[in-house]
Amino acid sequence: MTKKILIVDDEPRYVRLMEANLTSDHYEVLTASNGEQALEIVANQRPDLVLLDIMMPILDGFTVCERIRKFSSVPIIVVTVKGEEQDRVKGLDMGADDYIIKPFSATELLARVRAVLRRAAKPANIPAQSVFHHGALDIDLAKAEVFLKGKMVYLSATEYRILLQLAQNVGTVIPSEQLLRDVWGAEYQKDKEILWVSISRLRQKLEEDQNDPRHIVTRSGVGYIMPVLND
Amino acid sequence: MTIVDDLNESVVLKPEDLKAVYAISLAIAQSENIDSALDLIVIHTRPVFIFDNMVVYLPQEGSSLTPSYARVIGRGKCAEGEIEWGGVIATEAFSSKQTSLCHEKLEGWESNRLFWRDFLGLPLKAGEEVLGVLVFGRFGGPPYTPEQIRLAEFIAAQTAQLIENHHLVERVAKLEAERWLRRMQDEFITTISHELRTPIGFIKGYATTLLRDDTKWDDESRREFLTIIDEEADRLHELIEDLLDSSRLKAGTMFMQMQPVRLDLILREIVVRSTARYASLAVQLKVDHEVLVMADPVRITQVMDNLFTNAVKYAPNSPVMVSLVNSTDTCQITVADRGPGILQQHLEHLFERFYRVPDTSITVRGTGLGLYICQQIIQGHQGEISVSSELSKGTTFTIQLPCIKNKEMALPVGEELEG
Repeated sequence: MTKKILIVDDEPRYVRLMEANLTSDHYEVLTASNGEQALEIVANQRPDLVLLDIMMPILDGFTVCERIRKFSSVPIIVVTVKGEEQDRVKGLDMGADDYIIKPFSATELLARVRAVLRRAAKPANIPAQSVFHHGALDIDLAKAEVFLKGKMVYLSATEYRILLQLAQNVGTVIPSEQLLRDVWGAEYQKDKEILWVSISRLRQKLEEDQNDPRHIVTRSGVGYIMPVLND
Repeated sequence: MTIVDDLNESVVLKPEDLKAVYAISLAIAQSENIDSALDLIVIHTRPVFIFDNMVVYLPQEGSSLTPSYARVIGRGKCAEGEIEWGGVIATEAFSSKQTSLCHEKLEGWESNRLFWRDFLGLPLKAGEEVLGVLVFGRFGGPPYTPEQIRLAEFIAAQTAQLIENHHLVERVAKLEAERWLRRMQDEFITTISHELRTPIGFIKGYATTLLRDDTKWDDESRREFLTIIDEEADRLHELIEDLLDSSRLKAGTMFMQMQPVRLDLILREIVVRSTARYASLAVQLKVDHEVLVMADPVRITQVMDNLFTNAVKYAPNSPVMVSLVNSTDTCQITVADRGPGILQQHLEHLFERFYRVPDTSITVRGTGLGLYICQQIIQGHQGEISVSSELSKGTTFTIQLPCIKNKEMALPVGEELEG
C-alpha cells in the first residue's frame, strides 16, 4: 500500500525538494506550508509519516509536534538546521521520532524516511486480541494501543516500539545499544541521547513516580528492564 | 582660607530660606537636564543669598577640577567674571571634603569692591564620594554669615543629588546602548546563519536530487532543479558581497570610482533590468530631463537595486513610483511604494547596520545590511538618503545627490557614443 507522507515547510523550495524525491520513490505526498494546515491534515487525512520543519512563522515545529502528539502517534521526523543541536533534542522531547538536519542530501532524506516507516510498521506475529498486562499498564498488541489504568495513552511510534521490546522481554535487561539498534536502526547504535530522551518521555507518560519507575527500570551502565511484578 | 566645621546647630533657617530650598528641590526633581536645573537653582537662590558668581567644578579625567557650569549674575556685571572663579577654594573643599571659606581683602579694597572677595566652596557629596564642588563668589562683602553658609550647604546637597541623578541616567543610557548593540549582533548572527544556510541547503538538496542514480528525472524537472541551484548560487553570491561591502565600509576601505554619470539614463536602465528580474514589480518612472552627477555608476546601481528588492520583499504587489528631479546644484531621486509602511519608531534605526524591523516575517529574507550599505554609498557621494513612511499608505526613500553644474565635462557614463 502506498504510504502517505505529509511535508510541512514554509519554504516552497524545500517542499518541492522533498516532494520530488518522495514522489519518485512512490510515496503519496501531502503538503502544508504552516502549522495550522499541518494539524488539520494530520487529523483529517491520517498520513503515515510527517516531515516537520522547525523554523516556521506563527506555529513553530515544536508546538505542532506537541499538538499532534495529543491526538496521534503518527511518526514524525523533525527537520532542523545545522548548528541548532539543541533543537534536535527538543524535537525528540516533544515526541518526534527522528530528525534530519538541513542541509541534507536527497538520499539521506529517503533513508531516514524508510527507516522511520520501517520502525513504525506493526510487528508481525502478534495474535489478534492479545493484550499484555503489567501492573496498571495494558498494551493492546493487535491495535498497538496503550492504556494506563484503563485510560488510553498516546505514544509515538518509536516510544511504542521501545515499550514493546521491553514488554516482550519482561525480566530481561535489554542493553541500550540493542534497543537503539532494534528500534532506530544500526546507524543509531551510539546515539544514547536519543534513547534517553525517549525513555524519559515514556516514563512521563507511564510512570506514577518518575523517581521510582515500576515499568521501565534502568540498569546502570547496561540498559533497561521491565521487571517481573510480584503482585 | 578656613575650613568651616561644626556649624552652630542652633542656626535656624528663615521662612523665606525654607521657601527657596523647597523651590530648589522641586526644580531638581522636575528637571531632566542638569544645566537647566542649575539655572533654576541660581534663580531661586539669588533672592535669599547674595552672590556674584556661582560655579560647579567637576573632576575630569586625571582628577583635576574643571568648571562644568558657571554663571555671573554679579552686581558689577561681567567685571567679576574676569577676576576670580574660586579655583583654589574648590580644590580645598574637594580634597578636605568639607565646606571651605576664603576671605581676601587685597590692597585698595576700600575703593574697588573687586579686591574684597569672599568665596565659599561646598563639596558635592554622594555618600562618601565627592562628586565635585559648588562655589559661590561674593565681591565687596559682606562676609557669609553662619546662616548663609548653612543655607548654601542645603543647596550643595541638592546640587549633589542632581549630579548623582544625572550620572545614574548616563550610566543607564550607556548600559542600554551596550545591551542594544549586543542584541543586534546576536540577532545578526542568527539571521546571517539562516541566510547563508538556506541557499546552501537548496543547492545541496537539488544537486543530490539530480545525482540520484536510482531515478531518471524528465527534462522539465532537471531544468527546474538546475534553475533553482543557479538562482540560489546567485543569492549566496549576493549575500557574501553584501557582507564584504559592509565590512569594507566599516573598515573604510571601499573606494568609489567617481566619474560623470547621466543619472536619468542609469535609472532607466535599472528599472528595465529590475522589472525583468521581478515579474511582480511594476515601476512608474518619472524622469523629465538630463541629470548629470559625479558618481560611481556601479554603486549607484547597487543602491537602486537594493531599494527595488526591498519594495518587492516588503511591499509585494505594490507599484513603485520612481522620480528624478533636479534643482541648480542638487538632484533628488524618490522611490515610493504603496505597501504596508513602517512603524515610526523603527524608521530612525532603518539605516543602522544589522537593524531589521522586528516582527518581520521570518520568511522574508534579509540581513539588515542593505540599507546600511545604501546609506554609506550615498554618503560617499556627499549625498543623503532618508525615509518617510505611513502605516498602510506606503514608504518613500529619498536620495539627494550633488549635481554637476558645468556641462563641459567628459562624456558621461550611461550616454551612448554618437557618430
